[in-house]
Amino acid sequence: MTAGDFNPHILGFFCHWCCYAAADAAGVSRYQYPPNVRVIRVMCTGRIDLRFILEAFGCGADGVFTGG
Amino acid sequence: MIIAEACRQVLKDVGVNPERTALEWASAAEAPRFVELITRYVSAVKSIGPLGKAEGENKEAVIGMHLKAGAKAASALKVRTALGKLAKDIKKSGDYSPGIISEGVTKKVFPAFREERLTQEVQICLSEIGPCKSADLSEKTGGGIKEIGKILETLSRKKMVKKQGSNWYGIGMGNQES
Amino acid sequence: MVEAGRSPNIEILTSARLENLDGKPGRFTAIVHQEPRFIDDDKCTACGTCTMYCPMPVVDLFNERLDITRAPHIDYAQAVPTSYYIDARACLRINYETCNLCAQTCTAQAIDFSQKPRKLNLDIGAVVLAPGFGRIDPSVLKKYGYGRFHNVVTSMEFERLTCASGPTEGHVVRLSDREPLKKIAFLQCVGSRDEICGNGYCSSVCCMYAIKEASVAKEHDPDLEVVLFFMDIRTQGKGFDAARERAEEKYGLRVIRARIPRVDQVDGRLALTWTTDDGKSCSELFDMVVLSEGLSAPKDAEAIAEIAGIELNHYGFCKTCVDSPLVASRKGVYVAGAFQGPKDIPESVTQASGVAAMVSELLSEARNTQTVTLSYPEEDKAIESEGPRIGVFVCHCGSNIAGVVDINAVRDYAGTLPDVVFCRDTLYSCSQDALKGIASKIKGNRLNRVVIAACSPRTHEPLFQETLKSIGLNPALIEMANIRDQCSWVHSQEPEAATEKAKEIVRMAVAKARLLEPLEQTTVDVSPTALVIGGGAAGMTAALCIADQGFECLLVERSDKLGGNLRRLVWTMDGGEASEVLDNLIKRVDGHPLVCVMLEAQVEDVSGYVGNFTSSIVKAGQPVVVDHGVIVIATGGREYSPTSYQYGVNKRVVTQLELEKSLASGKGILKNIKNVVMIQCVGSRGEDMRHCSRLCCTQAIKNALKLKGIKPDIRIYCLYRDMRTYGFSEDLFKEARKRGVIFIRYEPDRRPEVIERDGRIKVRVFDRLLKDEIDISACLVVLSVGITPGANDVLANVLKAPLTPEGFFLEAHVKLRPVELASEGIYVCGLAHGPKPLDESIAQAKAAAAKAAIPLAKGKAQVASIVSRVDKAACIGCGICESLCPFNAIRLFRVNKRRKAETITASCKGCGICASHCPTLAISMGGFTDEAIMAQIHAFAGERCV
Repeated sequence: MTAGDFNPHILGFFCHWCCYAAADAAGVSRYQYPPNVRVIRVMCTGRIDLRFILEAFGCGADGVFTGG
Repeated sequence: MIIAEACRQVLKDVGVNPERTALEWASAAEAPRFVELITRYVSAVKSIGPLGKAEGENKEAVIGMHLKAGAKAASALKVRTALGKLAKDIKKSGDYSPGIISEGVTKKVFPAFREERLTQEVQICLSEIGPCKSADLSEKTGGGIKEIGKILETLSRKKMVKKQGSNWYGIGMGNQES
Repeated sequence: MVEAGRSPNIEILTSARLENLDGKPGRFTAIVHQEPRFIDDDKCTACGTCTMYCPMPVVDLFNERLDITRAPHIDYAQAVPTSYYIDARACLRINYETCNLCAQTCTAQAIDFSQKPRKLNLDIGAVVLAPGFGRIDPSVLKKYGYGRFHNVVTSMEFERLTCASGPTEGHVVRLSDREPLKKIAFLQCVGSRDEICGNGYCSSVCCMYAIKEASVAKEHDPDLEVVLFFMDIRTQGKGFDAARERAEEKYGLRVIRARIPRVDQVDGRLALTWTTDDGKSCSELFDMVVLSEGLSAPKDAEAIAEIAGIELNHYGFCKTCVDSPLVASRKGVYVAGAFQGPKDIPESVTQASGVAAMVSELLSEARNTQTVTLSYPEEDKAIESEGPRIGVFVCHCGSNIAGVVDINAVRDYAGTLPDVVFCRDTLYSCSQDALKGIASKIKGNRLNRVVIAACSPRTHEPLFQETLKSIGLNPALIEMANIRDQCSWVHSQEPEAATEKAKEIVRMAVAKARLLEPLEQTTVDVSPTALVIGGGAAGMTAALCIADQGFECLLVERSDKLGGNLRRLVWTMDGGEASEVLDNLIKRVDGHPLVCVMLEAQVEDVSGYVGNFTSSIVKAGQPVVVDHGVIVIATGGREYSPTSYQYGVNKRVVTQLELEKSLASGKGILKNIKNVVMIQCVGSRGEDMRHCSRLCCTQAIKNALKLKGIKPDIRIYCLYRDMRTYGFSEDLFKEARKRGVIFIRYEPDRRPEVIERDGRIKVRVFDRLLKDEIDISACLVVLSVGITPGANDVLANVLKAPLTPEGFFLEAHVKLRPVELASEGIYVCGLAHGPKPLDESIAQAKAAAAKAAIPLAKGKAQVASIVSRVDKAACIGCGICESLCPFNAIRLFRVNKRRKAETITASCKGCGICASHCPTLAISMGGFTDEAIMAQIHAFAGERCV
């Protein structure tokens, strides 16, 4: 596999009030971005536990993006 | 922010490139910024490469085990208390500067995590691979000989492991954490 | 805005204007004319297809004409109602009966050309005028090159240029050639403090917004050179000075003090020429010039005034008085926001809340007679407690999702997931008939968990939750899979990847849905009493306002009489007698059956939460325990007591309040004085206190004019840093200059000195024009001392409420929640919140009373369902959660000598920081449990999971 066709599997933790809203707004404006991120919505980034991130990598995530 | 810093240090410990995580801020009105962040982040991860392979280690065996032990360690009372205390102290002082956070995590949280991670991993090794020499355990877990020795000592005091000859055995390998 | 749109008790009429107002307070009849939108806002899904197909370009007025849009459009994505409308002037169908493309392409069939203008007759109790402000006339802007030179823009235009969702996506470019900028200038006071254009007042907001716009531009391009031209820097708002200094330092903003420069164009660049206040003449070239345009009275102010029957002031703003800043001249008509006078967002929001209190006072008898409350059937606990039976509904959203994502594939995939017993695709899930269909399918198939794969839970979850509630299911049993906003819309070029992503999103949603549990919808009873702490102007106003709305109020005052700082004031800013305001307030407080006053009393301890506080109040050494539902902090502030400038040493050095007292009595120090020197910012702005005290400039000028009134020949010098006579107080400043008061500016590193020699006083100050120190002999030196916070730390400790670094109470949100503290049920007003003049204190007290009355009026406090819960058995009482909670929503208590944590659900906001930091994983978050998030993580991994 070359870097070109490597499609990373990325998990996102998005804050309901901020980043999740920004992601929605990006949709409303029809901006395009790579389809590699799957999102778990949380009410606040404070909810994010170290365990979640380790678990995600343990489950084979290539990246974890936290959006506040 | 404290969690993010802890996360970076901990990932490094388990052999995952900390650049695989990102903590970014985008307000509800900042859609273009969000798109920029995500696009940049995805290509950053792309250039790092797939988890495990890029780290230069065999994904399943090594990182998988490190992460499994790491996730358990992150649930452990001692580690969580250290993290919680640090968060409490930093909130009280009101000083959230990156230097302070990084120092706090390095001094207070990381040692607890590493000890717990190695403890978990020693037990996983012993139960999955069977009896091992302490040198093998040190190689598998990435812990120093001295560190592993200390951990084995503690575990044997708790009657979780036993030494026979130069080999260590695991006894009743359950998860010791409630 | 969204909240206003969602309330069943607020009806929004857009494109509407008031045409007539008859009747009296409590019983008005209003005639309202409303223009059609031509798009039915109930049907419109805000998908934007109409804009895409419309052939008719129109200038985008929301974007300050810097962009074009089409006849059907929405101003911005978050607009309420979130519905498009058609600009009738451009539409081909409306004007020529051709085209009709939008109607043909709108799959929601929301376009309705049969709509006609309509007249509404409304029976109403009160009227609130909040038309905002108007724009500065272009002829004024023309003086500074606007309209003549391409790269001279208004601050409003610049705001759009810096906006990430604006016409240039936040890239600041030259309008002439769309090239990036290197050097930019902000010119302040354009259309403000300008008698020639008729706006003699200060617009109050431009200094701060210019700093903000400059910072945003620098953030975007760190190499940009920014120069700001000020006459005075008027950043008098709470925390504004600190923010300005931070910005100046962080972004290296260059600040020049000068009158507005002249603007010319030289070789395609803009040449500015100015004279600094030390007399130097300078000139530099710039790529862009931003005119910080002031706020005018609304364009139709006169028409509004005539129809509503109210008076305007001489600048065309609504006329009000210092002691009743929210009341227009016709009874039952109120005013809030910039129409009452130019003001920033915090003050506007404060006034808006205050006005709500005024209306609530007027209409208190009618409360709950016409409000709409919705009722729901009993929850079916039996179905809910069965094992998960999940239904998945996959929405096409017309072609918004289906055009990209393979809906059938997603639907069929959903059917293979564990515990999914039903799946169906729908054209528009949110349409009324589809909702009915979903409800009947849920019932028919005994579904007890629902996944809606459609748009964003942020916008649509409440709608689907309503549907669940309407058929007796707990609203927490739904999970939305956002396959539109965060999938089909953003990956429209990659349908296969989008379909794959949609499947995974659904998989994660189903995994979470399997673990969803009903969440309790609890309410707590509210003790219908308010505790107001502090009996000054703010405290009395708040207490009266709460009592006038029909609730009991306990007013606690530390000293032996009511009045606070108002007792020391002689004249209000508009020259009225302060004692009249004071006497009137005290008379009303004493005579009000619902206000109970406790003098010489202090609040020693407070426990509980919104609706159920219990306080211990100590009076004469005896504690009295009271139950109450809300708390209003109105503990005031103090006059700063200086230790410099010979104050306290020489009796000819006095404070403004002391001068005021002498002026009123006509005795003492005023005998035989010829020269008076006033020194501004004593204590404030970095001497002893960091903040600007906001009111001293106007106070000094008020007293200077009084002095001049008594002794016209007196010489008055005023040594200042920036004269901050914002708003209409600028008139007084102008008057003072006209009457010969001499103003000398000093720099903070060269403060004036008071020197005493042989019983004579001299004030030494550096004169910037002469470039030398001068000595002014003074018969009297008056210090404009600032406002220092009272002993707020003691009360803050009792309430666990945060203070600003300056020691004032910190509000929950500076702009949006200016009178609420982060902890629910506690409100702040007056000087306890920050220095401010009387009229602003009164408006703020009304606002605090309005907010405080909300839980009291409801009688029950609704508790949010996404809250944390502590497992007592697992809790070890370490207290980490208690100290980390930003809302004081966790408390520790003792059970059998062991400490245990407990969530005060009424205060919890569901952020989850307690759960993620609990050492023993004893805290679980409603709707976002560890198990659910772990299940999502595992579902994210799918087969990859090791």
